[in-house]
Amino acid sequence: MNARRALREIGIGALAIALMAFILGPILWLGAHAFATSWTFPRLSADGWTTHWWHEVFADSALAGAIRTSLLITPVVVLISAVICLPAAYAIGRHSFPGRRLFLIGMFAANAFPKIGLFASLAALFYAMNLMGTVIGIVIVQLLGTIVFMTWIPASAFAAVPRSLEEAARDAGASRLTVFRTITLRLAMPSILVAVIMSFLASFDEAQGSYLVGAPNIYTMPTEMYALVENYPIQVAAVFSILLSVPSVILIGLARQHIIGGRLAEGFQIR
Amino acid sequence: MLLIIGFIGFPIALSLALTLGFTGGLNQIIALIGQGIRPADHWWGTMAGYQALFSDPRFNGDLQQTIIVTVVSTIVVLVLSLAIALIVRLHRGRIAQLLGAIIVVPMFVPVVISAWAIHTFYGGDGFVRSVAALLGLQAPTLTSTMWAVIIGSVWTSLPFASLLVTSGMQSIPDALIDAARDAGAPMSRIVRTIMLPLASTQLIIATTFTSIGILGSFTIPYFLGSNQPTMLGVEISNFLNAYNRPQQAVAMAFVIFVFAAGIAIAYVRANLRGSATEARA
Repeated sequence: MNARRALREIGIGALAIALMAFILGPILWLGAHAFATSWTFPRLSADGWTTHWWHEVFADSALAGAIRTSLLITPVVVLISAVICLPAAYAIGRHSFPGRRLFLIGMFAANAFPKIGLFASLAALFYAMNLMGTVIGIVIVQLLGTIVFMTWIPASAFAAVPRSLEEAARDAGASRLTVFRTITLRLAMPSILVAVIMSFLASFDEAQGSYLVGAPNIYTMPTEMYALVENYPIQVAAVFSILLSVPSVILIGLARQHIIGGRLAEGFQIR
Repeated sequence: MLLIIGFIGFPIALSLALTLGFTGGLNQIIALIGQGIRPADHWWGTMAGYQALFSDPRFNGDLQQTIIVTVVSTIVVLVLSLAIALIVRLHRGRIAQLLGAIIVVPMFVPVVISAWAIHTFYGGDGFVRSVAALLGLQAPTLTSTMWAVIIGSVWTSLPFASLLVTSGMQSIPDALIDAARDAGAPMSRIVRTIMLPLASTQLIIATTFTSIGILGSFTIPYFLGSNQPTMLGVEISNFLNAYNRPQQAVAMAFVIFVFAAGIAIAYVRANLRGSATEARA
């Protein structure tokens, strides 16, 4: 029995390590390239180490410009998305109105429609409205990817706030606004935070649509990456990759507990 | 809310009109620029655009590959995320904690970068081939094959699926598992008859989101796949930009949509059943 148990322990350990290697391997391999002078196949280590490529990226005006554009557009997208979607999320979470379920299912269906197809038809619309190659066009395209996160996750959080708490506060004499601010909003806050982060990532990573609408006038970091991979040495792409991952790492690091704590999972259920 | 409906629903309706051959109105410009447009010949439009698509061997090859990649990747993702969830739920050692933390890493990484990292890892002068060469073996170059696309899809989908399944497993009370164990049930039976059914909602959500995500994916097959046949996401963009055939591109999007909608219906059903049982309880 003990031998079998030990064998199982080893099996689980091996599986866990294999999975971690599968996940981390590609990232570490690419990360190492950011500091390599050159790399000779089939060596497992670089020929030499340098920070030269980092200077190159920051000195290149196209690359630095893409970084600036991305850092500018993404917060705007998230803000607009919050302003549009959070009231909708509140309505869906708290009120039952005719067509509510239809709206939820419709939104899910729209999400199942392949993005690239949506962009194709959006491009037709944008040509007609003169939005191709403009910042507004990119903002709209990126907005589309955030809607599902910004509506669904907060909606289930608003629905989960106990009515009795709000009623008790009202009975104790709190105004409607105070109740909303100190109870409803506060209890839903962790989920809203998760929604904001998921939206930020969705917008920040969005490449297909931004490329279709923005190129060749405006490049964000991910769309610049397509060009980079083809035209620059691999080390530059590696540096750029690390830079691109920084905001996501910081944000998810901040909200890790909430995401892993199941708020994400709860948010994706239609009630 | 109207704005949301307007910006997603309206373009979809517009493009459905285009695939059926209506070339007026806002579709006018794209119909003028595009090539190989089949105009409407009935009051409801025409199926000629779709017919041309399904008689194209290239499209059928793409469709076949898309379905194979989606099915294989989804199954692998499900099996792995179940394994991860079980390890995290039942094992609780340091290694399980570490695994739980590391598995979410791909979520931090933008898809473009994931694709590129996997490309360098499994590519011609990548890590896998380097290790094999040092061991005196000749490993195949996986990039530009379907296998790299599957690896990439699994890599990018795994964190979301395993988070969902893990949170489903975590919500199962210890008492249930302990009681079954005390009654002498072997672990495999506990997993099969208690844990899997209780986490089924999360499993279904994970399956839907994974398969729909892979079905319409673009970046992963674009960087990792072969040129021909490729997945439909890439082919849509080829037809739209390179070949300037918007009608076929959008028609392909609707073919993907039909598949995705099928999966979505299963999902909504599972959800409604879930909330119905909750309402009764």
